[in-house]
Amino acid sequence: MKIKSQKDFFAGLMFAIVGTAFAWGSTTYNVGSGARMGPGYFPMMLGIVLALLGLVVIFTALTIETESGDPIGRIAWKPLGFIIGANLIFGVLLGGVVSWGLPAMGLIAAIYALVLIAGLAGEQYSFKASLILATILAVGSYLAFVVALKLQFQVWPTFISG
Amino acid sequence: MDLITNLSIGFNAAFTLQNLIYCFVGCLLGTLIGVLPGIGPVATIAMLLPATYALPPVAALIMLAGIYYGSQYGGSTTAILVNLPGESSSVVTVIDGHQMAKQGRAGPALAAAGLGSFFAGCFGTLILAAFAPPLTELAFKFGPAEYFSLMILGLIGAVVLASGSLLKAISMIVLGLLIGLVGTDVNSGVARFSFDIPELTDGIGFIVIAMGVFGYGEIIANLSRPEEERQVFTAKVEGLWPTRDDFKHMLPAVLRGTALGSSLGILPGGGALLSAFAAYTLEKKMKLKPGEIAFGKGNIRGVAGPEAANNAGAQTSFIPLLTLGIPPNPVMALMVGAMTIHNIQPGPQVMTSNPELFWGLIASMWIGNAMLIVLNLPLIGIWIKLLSIPYRWLFPAIVLFCAIGVYSTNNNVFDIWMVAIFGVVGYTFIKLGCEPAPLLLGLILGPMMEENLRRALLLSRGDWSVFVTRPISLGLLVAAVLLLVIVLLPSVKSKREEAFVED
Amino acid sequence: MKRNHFLQGMALALCAVAAPAAFAQTYPSKPIRLVVPFPAAGATDLFARTLSQKMGEKLGTTIVIDNKPGAGGAIGSDLAAKAPADGYTLLLATTSTHSIGPAINPRLPYDTVRDFTPIAHVGDAPSIMLVPNTSPAKTVREWIDFAKKNPGKLNYASSGNGTIVQLTAELFKSQAGVFVTHIPYKGTALAIPDLISGKVDVLFDSLPTGMPHVRDGRLRALGVTSLKRSALAPDLPAIADTLPGFESNTWFGLYGPKGLPPELVARVNTAANQALADPDVRDKLSRLGIEPTTSTPSQLATMVAQDAAKWKKIITDRKITGD
Repeated sequence: MKIKSQKDFFAGLMFAIVGTAFAWGSTTYNVGSGARMGPGYFPMMLGIVLALLGLVVIFTALTIETESGDPIGRIAWKPLGFIIGANLIFGVLLGGVVSWGLPAMGLIAAIYALVLIAGLAGEQYSFKASLILATILAVGSYLAFVVALKLQFQVWPTFISG
Repeated sequence: MDLITNLSIGFNAAFTLQNLIYCFVGCLLGTLIGVLPGIGPVATIAMLLPATYALPPVAALIMLAGIYYGSQYGGSTTAILVNLPGESSSVVTVIDGHQMAKQGRAGPALAAAGLGSFFAGCFGTLILAAFAPPLTELAFKFGPAEYFSLMILGLIGAVVLASGSLLKAISMIVLGLLIGLVGTDVNSGVARFSFDIPELTDGIGFIVIAMGVFGYGEIIANLSRPEEERQVFTAKVEGLWPTRDDFKHMLPAVLRGTALGSSLGILPGGGALLSAFAAYTLEKKMKLKPGEIAFGKGNIRGVAGPEAANNAGAQTSFIPLLTLGIPPNPVMALMVGAMTIHNIQPGPQVMTSNPELFWGLIASMWIGNAMLIVLNLPLIGIWIKLLSIPYRWLFPAIVLFCAIGVYSTNNNVFDIWMVAIFGVVGYTFIKLGCEPAPLLLGLILGPMMEENLRRALLLSRGDWSVFVTRPISLGLLVAAVLLLVIVLLPSVKSKREEAFVED
Repeated sequence: MKRNHFLQGMALALCAVAAPAAFAQTYPSKPIRLVVPFPAAGATDLFARTLSQKMGEKLGTTIVIDNKPGAGGAIGSDLAAKAPADGYTLLLATTSTHSIGPAINPRLPYDTVRDFTPIAHVGDAPSIMLVPNTSPAKTVREWIDFAKKNPGKLNYASSGNGTIVQLTAELFKSQAGVFVTHIPYKGTALAIPDLISGKVDVLFDSLPTGMPHVRDGRLRALGVTSLKRSALAPDLPAIADTLPGFESNTWFGLYGPKGLPPELVARVNTAANQALADPDVRDKLSRLGIEPTTSTPSQLATMVAQDAAKWKKIITDRKITGD
């Protein structure tokens, strides 16, 4: 059985697994009957439908011819890691992590960290350019969000501004 | 008739210098919020609410309304330029709008969105002014059974949103429905799929998924392509204004969108959401004229129609608010709060007891739309300039704004983690060739569908026939079946054509 | 040299001794954060904003509202409970978070008694009993008779399982001895059209939501849920006139995290009471359907304990949990 479309195969697999997971999870709630639906009824039905759809997609991936085999291609680990990492660092710095004892470092610090790390996701990385960009964005964000829109953000680290 | 008198009362009230200034401030603020992805009008209106206590009620409401519209216009801008739907109503604009931007046609796309919205806004305001009370009666005819059938119709239409594999699109819709079920179940109070995390008991927010899937997913995918192949606004920007052909195509689309939006917006509880999706479906199913680009690849009708629909829907969704005091969405709920504070009880008597307020608000809607067109059209040039910033400077900014935008909705860092997760999910979708727009529609419709289904069955004590015995519900279901046939027909037909050719 | 050091040392020592006392004197020295565990523009939020403006003036600082909605108020309450007890984070709690919450949610992340310091009981909001204008009942007694003639056929609307709206209805059912089916909605605003068109037969909702529709005749209000007639709706009889002892009240209270020093508690309590006496504040609150109250911190604690016990009994008796 040759995989004719890699994309569809794995897509179908994803649907099948997720659908089954939801259906299974629904059983922990009261399912009820058609007339008196419990909280688990709808998700279970949908989960089953999704799982079935997933199987059909897998089937088409194995049987319907495609030109190139629809390859998924290389997974871009570098951009993935840096973009997601930048986001995570932003959250950690903005809010602090209570369980690690890290105080909130504030918006400005978080912006710098995000921009510097996200920049690493591209091919040409220039520390200086990133720094300038971060500064522009930090100033801009401060003006736009804190001053103009009066949103409540922890701008500076907690040990400085409380 | 009375309409003219009323409108003149309204315009008199709205045209004072003070009120015009407040309208302008509101529009400006709203545009800023709309453009920044993730931050919605709700947070801002809430912030500004106390500031408006000191203002006279008309001015306060005018400013708040300005923020609301401004954010709609601004949201379309980001959707077209950066592929980020800031509001549920912009999801559809993203599909063709961003494609147009990539082909150097961001100017016409923005203009189409703006002009379509303006036209629809004017028309919607007229409907509101003339037909508010009788239209409210229509809203009463809609019970849970009718809403459920309407959602089914909407879902079938959602299938049309996809331009790729039909099967995968349907799967994405179902997946969206399932994700939408995470959270507390209205009918039983049970928190489903929340893994005991308090933040999940209210479900996974739309913004979070939109930012992650559309925003991060796209950026990661873009960065993974070698620089030459990157599809970011590399095509020469051809012009800021739509061509004559564009206008020819746009006009009917805008008309259709306006009609759809006006009708759907009246339904309290989310009719307006469907209008953009419905309009897109309608446009896609109309025959392509010669020379038109395929849908999903940058057809201007796919921008003009939905934008007109959702602006018309936004206008007419004021009807249940002003006549019944029922807010159709969280922003309107804030307006109700604002009115209450100013000692105005929104309800039918507002029209008779505070005519300057009611008609002034309506007049200001028109003024607001006009101001926004004046604000936004020249801005198109500036936005185009922004697009020419090298991508390596642009994408960290987008990553940042997504994170801030999402954080600002609840001031909860948890939301930032969710965006990260959905960023990975979004990239997976792109890699696997699954389109996110149907998922978002499923996400929005899923909980409403289930809620109405169960409520209808509760009211009928378990009797399923209620969906076909109630006339409106039956009509909607029949329309859904017809739509299903129309949707499936071309695919069946094209397979048959393939079969012919191979023979 | 040495003398300077000595003086500096003395100064420092004096500061260290005086600091705690001075702290109370210098409080508040920066803005206070009032956590509102509900979304913006809801009744609780509007109450908080109205109250905090005046209260801030009395305390000499700004009070900043921090909306932290979610999980029926649990997320915001949890945040406030775990904040430092320095008087700069306060919570506006309601029946949902501190009376009903513990009874209905066994996995609440905080203990309403141990993790908080009560500060002041600031307001009460009664509910009203709303029926469509097509309903055959014009008084509470008539409605009860109507319900008894149609057991199981009538419906009541609520804003969800475990909300005060639902619990009030359940209390009514249990005291009146009627059987009415529960139809939950995501918020009472969406229930109103169905109530007007008669798909549901009764709803116990707040004054501001219901009264506009009563005024233009689409709905009829049969009574208030406070023990006696309420000044906010003087024409409505109390349901307790027909059902002795029937009372359902949404209370609002100010809390701080546990361990808040008594001097701070007293300061905030006084400021709140002063703000609530202001005529402008009282006027705005009455439009929100809220009656201001004044109290001492211990009165808040006692009231809440009694209230929580009452609702707990209803919840266990009627087995209100997940489906």
